[in-house]
Amino acid sequence: MSERPTAQELTEAIAEFLGGEILPILDDHRLRFRTLVAMNALSIVHRELAALPQEDDAGRRELARRIRAGEVPPGTLAAVKADVEARLQVTSPRYLDGY
Amino acid sequence: MIARMRESLQAVLGPVSEPVLLAGGASKEAWAVDAGGERLLVRRAAVGVIHRHTLSLRQEFEVLSAAYEAGVKAPRPIAYLDDLDGREAFVMERLEGETIGRRIVRMDVPAELPVQMAEEIAKIHAIPRTRLPFLEDARLERMVEELDEFGEPHPAIELGLWWLRENRPPAREPVVVHGDFRIGNLVVDERGLVGVLDWEFAHVDDPVRDLAFSLVRAWRFGVPERRLGGIGDAEPYVDRYNELTSFDVRAEELDYWELAGNVGWAIGCLTQAQRHLRGQDRSVELAVLGRLGAEVEYEICHLLERVGVV
Repeated sequence: MSERPTAQELTEAIAEFLGGEILPILDDHRLRFRTLVAMNALSIVHRELAALPQEDDAGRRELARRIRAGEVPPGTLAAVKADVEARLQVTSPRYLDGY
Repeated sequence: MIARMRESLQAVLGPVSEPVLLAGGASKEAWAVDAGGERLLVRRAAVGVIHRHTLSLRQEFEVLSAAYEAGVKAPRPIAYLDDLDGREAFVMERLEGETIGRRIVRMDVPAELPVQMAEEIAKIHAIPRTRLPFLEDARLERMVEELDEFGEPHPAIELGLWWLRENRPPAREPVVVHGDFRIGNLVVDERGLVGVLDWEFAHVDDPVRDLAFSLVRAWRFGVPERRLGGIGDAEPYVDRYNELTSFDVRAEELDYWELAGNVGWAIGCLTQAQRHLRGQDRSVELAVLGRLGAEVEYEICHLLERVGVV
């Protein structure tokens, strides 16, 4: 597991935000109800994510170890960049438009 | 709590208006108060620290005082309070102007802003070390130590660190540095630079590292084509700095430290996320920063390509 917070940890952060900061300031009971429903939906996502196999980061770990040891053959940067780009496609795809 | 704080402040400043908590600042609270017709800002410790290697508020007040004495455009320091309703704090002038980076890059700022930034950072770098004997020397190794604490593999950061180790420019005589000199820690208005804020990262370091920090892409606030903090070109900034300091900073040296700034901030994003993950400061904002570090890692790759790494 190399991407922290994990997807599951992100749903926890959102649930805490909704429950701790948004719910207490909602007076409108329709909005309160919908927020509670949204939190319940989030908890479904949380449990569903728990059932998924964990990401295998052995390759990334090995690459990081080699670079630390000074083993940087040609092609290393391209491999590293492709890995970061793949992560960005999930995390922040529009960021790549700036390049 | 506000009433107690107001009482403590009045003991030092005389009658003050009711303190109003300002937005932002995860590690420090900022309160606006007025006293004797002056607009003041109270900077007070909050729960949790942003970074282990930051100054205490007492030290930060000392640094601000030294900078102000040296003629740096900065808020006038007023008083240090070791116990403001249970936490340490200091009072300074509240400058008028914009401090939100994202807004500054969209403002109509004068073309002289890069030159004005150079003039202030040159004055900071001329503050004698002996004036602030508690400031510590920076070590590049600290970045590696922090990264190792997380136990997460980040090949892009490793590659950046590797290149920095292999290509270190000749060491310069270390000077007093601001440590976080960038758009976002400046007060700016339509006439340009009003003041330099947030002195908590001050330390003793290579001056070019401090100079190049404002070039880091994350501090261009969505205007990446303007290398200096999204507001201008690097050349007038560096040229003016060289005129004032005779340091003769070379372009490759600036590139080196820009890359180091990105590596530092990539690790900084992970550090911030750890505060959330370890429960020191639970926040969606900090959690997401852990993932947004990938943006900084991409920039590291981009800069490594530019210096010819394959």
